[in-house]
Amino acid sequence: MYKGASYKIWSVLMVSPFIIFFLLFWALPLVLGIWISFHNWNVSAGNLGFVGLDNYKMILTSGTIYNDLFMTGLKNTLYFVVISVPPLVLIALGLALIIDNLPDKFKTIYRTIFFISYSISVTAVSAIFLWLFNNNGGFINNVLMSLGMKEAVNWLGEQPYAWLTILIATVWWTIGFNMMLFINALNEVDSSLYEAADLDGAGAWGKFWYVTFPQIKNVGFFIVIMTVIASFNLYGQTRLITNGGPEQSTNSLIMNIQTSVFGMNQLGIGSAMALLMGIIMTVILGLQYWLSYRKTD
Amino acid sequence: MKMKRSTRKAIPLLILATIIAILFLLPLIWMVFTSFKTLSESMASSSILPQVWTLENYTGIFTSVSEAPIFRWLFNTTVITAVGTIIVVVVDILAAYSLARLNVPGKKVILGMIFAALAIPGIVTLFPAFYMFKEVGLLDSYIPLIMPYTASTMGVFLVYNFLLAFPKDLEEAAYLDGASQWQILYHVIFPAIKPVAMTLAVITFLAIYNDYLWPSLVTNSNEMKTITLGIATLIQGSNFVNPAKMMASTVIATIPAIVIFLLANKHIVKSVTNTGIK
Repeated sequence: MYKGASYKIWSVLMVSPFIIFFLLFWALPLVLGIWISFHNWNVSAGNLGFVGLDNYKMILTSGTIYNDLFMTGLKNTLYFVVISVPPLVLIALGLALIIDNLPDKFKTIYRTIFFISYSISVTAVSAIFLWLFNNNGGFINNVLMSLGMKEAVNWLGEQPYAWLTILIATVWWTIGFNMMLFINALNEVDSSLYEAADLDGAGAWGKFWYVTFPQIKNVGFFIVIMTVIASFNLYGQTRLITNGGPEQSTNSLIMNIQTSVFGMNQLGIGSAMALLMGIIMTVILGLQYWLSYRKTD
Repeated sequence: MKMKRSTRKAIPLLILATIIAILFLLPLIWMVFTSFKTLSESMASSSILPQVWTLENYTGIFTSVSEAPIFRWLFNTTVITAVGTIIVVVVDILAAYSLARLNVPGKKVILGMIFAALAIPGIVTLFPAFYMFKEVGLLDSYIPLIMPYTASTMGVFLVYNFLLAFPKDLEEAAYLDGASQWQILYHVIFPAIKPVAMTLAVITFLAIYNDYLWPSLVTNSNEMKTITLGIATLIQGSNFVNPAKMMASTVIATIPAIVIFLLANKHIVKSVTNTGIK
């Protein structure tokens, strides 16, 4: 069906708004970014000439200020990915398992409560956690001191507390989304399999490992990938809660790219950094796909 | 009266779930009560409830609207999320329908571009896009705050996948009955894809509402800020030293989102299911 010239015209008309927006606001900036990365390009003064691969060389040569910005940001961001992905996935799974085993009439209310913080913007989350964990006059410290602790904990100005604060804020903010994905996956598990496992005398752990886990493995893998991407894009929490401190230890890669573009006025170098970050993320995600594909093969 | 056996068995689990629920709600409860504390109490207090209740933080927000126009920010966010979501949903549905059903010329190329865009992280286009808007003199207007979201390929991908799995029979019957293209779209396709359209709307709304970095690049004046960006400005500005007033502003900023979230809860739950992950 749908043959003839009139359908062809219709089809083109219907797809073209999207194509126009896509080319204007995605493809054009992408090409422009690649182009700019080969130039000495200022935000204020514009194009100051072609430099070939110099921007990339500068970023990757140790000792330059841009190498320092890129590597510090990358190191901090990778550190956050490593410490945040396991709790964001495992605690989400734990919460989903709790919800799944609650009597039906309680499921909705607890699911909603665990998910509600996801509706709050990153800046509001930061405002709340900034004042919960503030060194001076923060609520947590006030409570700890009233319980008899002698000295205030320097939550935001000392490691590992600063990362811990960022991690707690991030878990509280986003874990509900991963939990929802796990709850959906658990709903799809065939309940007759549990009955069979019961007959075989399987315990709770046995049931999870031999019945549940194989069935939610694919969703779990997808959640890991989504969480890695989200953690790689760390920005709002570290900008607003710790502002990169103490001693730049929570400066994320995006923060440092922003510093290169606006603080140093180097759009060319910043664009090269963003492209390198994109390549690193794509390679890591590609590796994850490849590993999981190989395993299931 | 005897409790049902299943409920009794679940009591330890219910206690655990309740403890976790309290932990989840505590930051929000603390936010609300702190907004009613005086400045000195909010800095020194170790109890959740205020000893002295005050409305001065809220009245302070109304008197300082010239430096922190929080209601203008809410208005901006309303305009941007509403217009942006509507454009994305309409444009993406039309494109997905054309791709899935009408065999549009160049279909393979378009689909290839969509898949490529899904794999490339957003940070790559962020700063060049800012520069583009700067060069054409559109910074600090609604256009850069709305239009870049329309380039997202996620929505087309979502609706396209849905349509591929959706049987063509109804459309074919309508076609044979002589229905026009618009009639088929209006009477057959739109009702059928309502759930996935809702999903797309929720995802788009949350993405625009939540965005912080992009609006911070393309707005200069206080009047053009979104509520999400405005709260960041307050954190970095003078409210930094006043947790009670900061929390009052945060309450005003988050209550609309929480209300929308609770009202749309059913759709959001569905939307997570629909994100295509099985």
